[in-house]
Amino acid sequence: MAEASIAIPAPVKPAQVHTDVTARWFLVSAIGYFFIIGIIALAIAAKFCWPELLGTVPALSYGRLRPLHVNGMLFGWLLAADMGLTYYFIPRLCGVKLWSEKLGVATAALWNVIILGAVFALLGGYNQGFEYAELPLPLDILVVIAWVMYGTNLFMTIARRKYQQMYVSIWYTMGTILWTAFVYITGNFATELTTGVNQANLNWMYVHNAVGLIFTPVGLAIAYYFIPKSSDTPLYSHRLSMIGFWSLAFVYVWTGAHHMLHGPISQWLQTIAIVFSVMLLIPVWSVVYNFFATVKGQWHQMRDNVPLKFLVSGTVFYLLTCFQGPMHSLRSVNAIVSKTDWIPGHAHMAVLGCFSFFAIAGTYYVAPRAWNTKLYSETLANWSFWLMMVGGLGFFVTLWLGGFWQGWQWNNPSIPFIDTVVALKPIWLVRFFSGTLIFCGIVAFAYNIMATVVGRRAYAR
Amino acid sequence: MLGKADQSFSVSIIAALVLFFIGGLLTTVVPPMIDKSWSRPAPGLKPYTAEQLKGRAIYVREGCWYCHTQQTRTLVADTKRSGWRGVDSPVSTPDEFVYDSPHMFGTKRTGPDLSRVGGKYDTQWHRTHFRNPRDLVPGSVMPPFPWIVNNPEEFTALVAYLQTLGRAKDWRPAKDYEK
Repeated sequence: MAEASIAIPAPVKPAQVHTDVTARWFLVSAIGYFFIIGIIALAIAAKFCWPELLGTVPALSYGRLRPLHVNGMLFGWLLAADMGLTYYFIPRLCGVKLWSEKLGVATAALWNVIILGAVFALLGGYNQGFEYAELPLPLDILVVIAWVMYGTNLFMTIARRKYQQMYVSIWYTMGTILWTAFVYITGNFATELTTGVNQANLNWMYVHNAVGLIFTPVGLAIAYYFIPKSSDTPLYSHRLSMIGFWSLAFVYVWTGAHHMLHGPISQWLQTIAIVFSVMLLIPVWSVVYNFFATVKGQWHQMRDNVPLKFLVSGTVFYLLTCFQGPMHSLRSVNAIVSKTDWIPGHAHMAVLGCFSFFAIAGTYYVAPRAWNTKLYSETLANWSFWLMMVGGLGFFVTLWLGGFWQGWQWNNPSIPFIDTVVALKPIWLVRFFSGTLIFCGIVAFAYNIMATVVGRRAYAR
Repeated sequence: MLGKADQSFSVSIIAALVLFFIGGLLTTVVPPMIDKSWSRPAPGLKPYTAEQLKGRAIYVREGCWYCHTQQTRTLVADTKRSGWRGVDSPVSTPDEFVYDSPHMFGTKRTGPDLSRVGGKYDTQWHRTHFRNPRDLVPGSVMPPFPWIVNNPEEFTALVAYLQTLGRAKDWRPAKDYEK
């Protein structure tokens, strides 16, 4: 299995060929949204503990801040950061310049227009009513345009590559661009043509694959690039990475209906979704084994290599969250955890604990190189890791315990519903304080990168 | 195939799309063709009136669906919790939701499920509850909605919508609510 792996090709003329203007714009705006939407996240966590908070201002009510939190974190922070990182490594893996930096900067500008538009639309209550697809139609159209601009730029770069063989990160990025196009169109346009259960089925296909076929492949592309890079070790197995990629391509899209287990949707479709959900273990475990086998023997680097800390703990969270996923889709487990607070615990481990950790690691690695300087503070970077790690674990673990307990209470109909709400109040308080720690980690991260960018002239002198 | 996809731009793109579309089409386009109950309205299901649709739009706008599901699942506890005065509710079936767009099934139950709430509480109850939920349900964490209660047109429309929920099935022996 441990065949000689493909070394990541080095740039032709280091630090001269790539200007990285697009990557830099995407990363800076992503970090800005990470901070701003982090405040929104704290506000909605606080509303669980103090429901009257900001309660008489329509634009600041829970029902409007929550979609802003979800969309802002998914599209404003995570997807923008992921796109920025692919603009950085795809040209390097191909040994050529990015096809068009001008088109790239225009894409970054358009992306900012979309996110700012989303802030006003969602606070104003212009909500389409679909989870993850809340944005009104004009913004959906702009997202499609931006995505075509992004895809064209990267595909043209890959088509002109110098190295015949494509590294794993290239396939995953190409997969992301192609699948996202269809998944996004299904979730934001095709749903409008249907009603009821049919519409819900399309909506869940989108919701599941927004994570499974957008954030997963691009997140893995990032991890596949930065784990070997930041630990200075070759990837363990090229063949294993192919098994992971092609099984992901086939298996993920089948599982949408597991969001409606026990619900009003055909039983046979639920069963199909369950079977394929369990099969998700194949792509996940092949990826995780490959990552761990790559860093095997390099554990000493974990002591002071902050990007590697984020990457390895992100991999652990990926393993855990993708073990939970198939298990929740079993009917017996689902009857307890579905619709409870367990689910936000699970979702945050995937999007924050895994994919945001990968993106943060990539940003820490890229920032000094793209701006041709050194990181502002390694100590602060280490603090950002531990704040997010401790805050994240507090968040995930309390919500799992609370959610499981809540599910058990719901399944005993002699307990009045309101008692199951009151029982969760301590859980929500711990979640709020854990969220505060995570937010402090975001501040440390954002400040560190911004100080790196702003302070680079002083460094150059 | 794996080696080929590794070297060639077009082979990898075609393979990625073919694998995706097998599952994509079989799980989204095919099911509604097989299971007709997804599109055939239940016998007792009436299309929404203009006022109910207006109320539904408010339900969507305020994000009520982030905390309230609308599905009585095939679990004993769900049928009891959606029940009323000792009568268990029937489970939700696809034919009850044919006129719903956007669907409001929901994924999270911070508050109780609303799939059978229609007819259980009168207008005055809803008015007090929307003004401050804790006045009627101590311990509730639902936000107050004074801007809806203070707008008679919106409030009436929203209540009109809520009273339709779960009424497609005639399951309660004594029709004593809303009197």
